Formats: sequence, C-alpha cells, structure tokens
Amino acid sequence: MPGSAPPGDLTKGHTVRRYDQELAKLRGIILEMGEHVIEQTQAAVAALVDREESQAFRVLDREPQVDYLSLDADEEVFRVIIRRQPTAVDLRIVLALSKIAGDVERAGDKAARIARQAIDLEELGKESTHLDGDLQAAFRCLDAKACCMFERSIKAVASFDVAEAVTIFEDEPALYESSHGVRKLLSEQGQEGLIPRQTVSLLTSAHALERIGNHASNIAEQVIYVALGQDIRYRNREILIETLRHRGF
Amino acid sequence: MNTMVEVMDKASGAISSADLANSEHSRVTVGEVTVADPRMTCRGVDVWYGSKQAIKGVTLDIGKNEVLSMIGPSGCGKSTFLRCLNRMNDTIDGCRVTGAIRLDGMDIYDKGLDPVPLRAQVGMVFQKPNPFPKSIYENVAYGPRIHGLTNNKAELDELVETSLRKAGLWNEVKDRLDQPGTGLSGGQQQRLCIARTIAVSPEVILMDEPCSALDPIATAIVEELIDELRANYSIAIVTHSMQQAARVSQRTAYFHLGDLIEVGETNEIFTNPQHRLTEDYITGRFG
Repeated sequence: MPGSAPPGDLTKGHTVRRYDQELAKLRGIILEMGEHVIEQTQAAVAALVDREESQAFRVLDREPQVDYLSLDADEEVFRVIIRRQPTAVDLRIVLALSKIAGDVERAGDKAARIARQAIDLEELGKESTHLDGDLQAAFRCLDAKACCMFERSIKAVASFDVAEAVTIFEDEPALYESSHGVRKLLSEQGQEGLIPRQTVSLLTSAHALERIGNHASNIAEQVIYVALGQDIRYRNREILIETLRHRGF
Repeated sequence: MNTMVEVMDKASGAISSADLANSEHSRVTVGEVTVADPRMTCRGVDVWYGSKQAIKGVTLDIGKNEVLSMIGPSGCGKSTFLRCLNRMNDTIDGCRVTGAIRLDGMDIYDKGLDPVPLRAQVGMVFQKPNPFPKSIYENVAYGPRIHGLTNNKAELDELVETSLRKAGLWNEVKDRLDQPGTGLSGGQQQRLCIARTIAVSPEVILMDEPCSALDPIATAIVEELIDELRANYSIAIVTHSMQQAARVSQRTAYFHLGDLIEVGETNEIFTNPQHRLTEDYITGRFG
C-alpha cells in the first residue's frame, strides 16, 4: 500500500501533527456515534420484544445524541477540508468518514423507528397480543445479526481494516435469511391472533433491522475505499469477496 | 482507474510495478509515461551539472492539447527537466544532457539544430514576470519581428492584438499599448509574458511556477488562461502548489531526487497515487 502511515492507522504520519489529530478527532466522532447506535438498537429491540415501553422512551430521548454528533462530524469535515485541502488517502478518509457519518446517523434513525413501533404496540394495549417464543427468537436473531454487522463495521472504521470489512459482506446472506424468517413467521401468525396494526409494526421493525445491516455494508464499502482506493459499490458481492479473500484479506 | 485485480495485487503485497519502483535500487516510473498522441517525447533523459546528476533516466511524453504538471520537493529536478525541453540548460556551464528529446519527431538536441527558433516553438514563462523594458506593444511584437513572422505593420498589429486577446489582456491594455510593460500589475505582466510567448506561434508552452509571484485573483486569471490555451498548445507546468496542479492539469508527474517517480491522470494521482513517495509528498508526510 502507498503511504508511510503506520499499518492500522492511515490518519497518522503527517509532517503537521495537528493534521493527524484533526483526522483522528473526526474518526473518533464517528466511532462514538457507532457505539450509541449499537446501544440504541439493542435497547429498541429489547423494548419491542419484551414489551418495555419505558425502554423505548429512553431510546427516543437519547436519539438526538447521534444527530448532534453527526453535526459535529460535518463541522470537522468542513474544517479539515478548509485547513488542509486533503489529497490521496487523506481525501479518501475525509470523504468516506463523511459518508459513514450519514450511514451511522440513518442507522440511529432506524433504532428510533423500532422504539416508536414498540410504543405503538403498547398503545394498542390489550388489543395486541404478546409475541410468541418463535417470533421473539427470530427477532432476537435478526437483531443480533444486524448489530453484529454494524459493530464490526464500526470496528473496521477504527483501523480501516479490509479483512473486517469483508466479513460484513459475508454476513449479508444470513441477515437477509434472518429477516425473511421474521417476515415468514409474521405472515403465519397474522392468521393466529396478531392484529394487522401489530403485524405492520413488527414488519416495519424487521425492515429497520435489515436496513441497519445494510448501513453496515455501506460503511464496509467505504472502509475498503479508504484502504485500497477502490470504489467497490455496486460490484458483484460474491466476486468481490472471493477476490479480496484470494488476495489475503 | 486500476482494475480490481491490480488494486488487490497492490494491497496484498503481490509484486507490481509500484512495488518494483518502491525498492531502493530501482527507479521504474509508476504509471503511463507515454501518451497516444504526443507532442514531445523524452526518452532516458539524464542531466548532469558537472559531476552531480540532477535528472536520472527520465522517460515522459507531453501530449497534444494537454497540460502536464510536474510536482515534487525543491531540488527534485522538475525545473531542470522543464528547461531541457527547450534547451535552456545549454546556457548553463557544465550542464550536460543525454538521452533523446523530440518535438513532433524532431531531435531537439540535434547538433545542427539552432536553439533560437526551437525556443519559439517551445516557449517559456518564468516564475517572475519579466517583461522587456519596452512598451506593451513592443513586448509582444519583438519576437515575431526577429523571427520574421509578419510581412508588414498591419500584420504585426493584428498578431499583437490576437496574442494579447489569447492571453486575456487585450481589453485591459488596448488603450495604452505604448506604455511600458513594466508598469502593469504583476498578474498583467505575467499575462503579457504569456502573450509574448504565444506571439511566436509555439507548439509547447513551458511554465516554471508561473503564479508563485501572483495574488490569488491574478493566479485564478492565469489558471483560466492556461485552460483556454490548452485548446491550441501543449503545456508543461512546474508548480509547488498541488492544488494548482490538480486544478489546471490533466496529467501529473511526480519527481523525487532526480527520478520521475510516478505519472498519471491528475485525478488519480491526487486521489489514489500508487507510489509511496508520491502519496507521502502530496499528503504532507514528506520529511
């Protein structure tokens, strides 16, 4: 790889040390956003599955944290561009982190959406029925897959780690399978007691979890863009994974 | 853009031209040094100042209607190389140039070739504007007159006007052509020097840090002019401003300690350079 930055941290090595700090600060904001989103998603799904309305309200209360951090990230992007006019790997880092901030912020929105569905279900009161064990398990499985992908995507950002990013692409089929499993169960249970509004809320939540996994994939694409200088969006995933693995990642 | 396999090769440590060039003992230039439609071709050019080698086996084309920027730290040889392209180094005692440099197939270092008309074909604009201590009109008319490019005063007048228009200066000086060129602002003086270069119908224009003495507005005007001139000329520009190189050129060449390290599409060089030294330099990790 070009660049003299030490392996694992492409943000370092500038003659102007302050530049290193500015890039590290921008990345730090993204990592903090990511941690919040993971917590928010797990809390929102717990609120949905366990019918804990107070948990859902806490998720909504905390939602602005990620939004404000997203504004901070934008501000840092502007500052770095104005001060440093980044080029090469630095330019890719700034562009990618700006895009990643957008994905993380939208993933946070999905967590809030799930929390709102949990509150809606509670408002239905006795009209709605509790989720049966299979459905709860299916939701928790989908949540675990989406959160795991998202967590690893944030970990990949921390060191622009291509190998970590590839694992996220590899997990995509399992995510879709899990999401399909939830929809299938909902379709079956729609005939066994779930009222239509409840089914819609649960479908909306499942879709939101799947989208969080998609955001993780988008983040992984940006990590590869930074590390390899190659825009791999819209590339065939199977070929991409095979090529990257074949090359030692 | 590199293919996926090339990129993966690079990232996985497979041997590539970039790897070879990164090795201490090799100076293989990374990237395409040749173009499909060259105006000038340079092959294995070495330049020596006495016993010190300033340029080491540089091979590079300058395409028709393209702006090629040459970047690199001070002392890397970019200005020395630029000055080889119209034999300006002939005037330096102890300077020796070997290798082949051709303009439209003609060997410019042919012993029988007169360098004076060559310097009209390959004109040069310097870092500091250097108008002659003559009128604005005479600054532009001098070259065509000594090269016998016009037959009468009317033709010369027309050539002066055309050159000043091409340099984007006509409207600012048309009413004071008899006034000294040295009375113009720095940016106007530089454009006068460009008009002077254009007036002798060059094929290539060499620019050695043409905006380093200009303010940002004058720089923007000259950069706009460079873009317009590209339609008719090939341009090679040496600049210390990487933003300028990114703005004005289609191809960029990076020099380091006399070696041509990397050449490529400007967009590619500034977003995804292949050589470590290029990346270090343009990202400010140099030194």
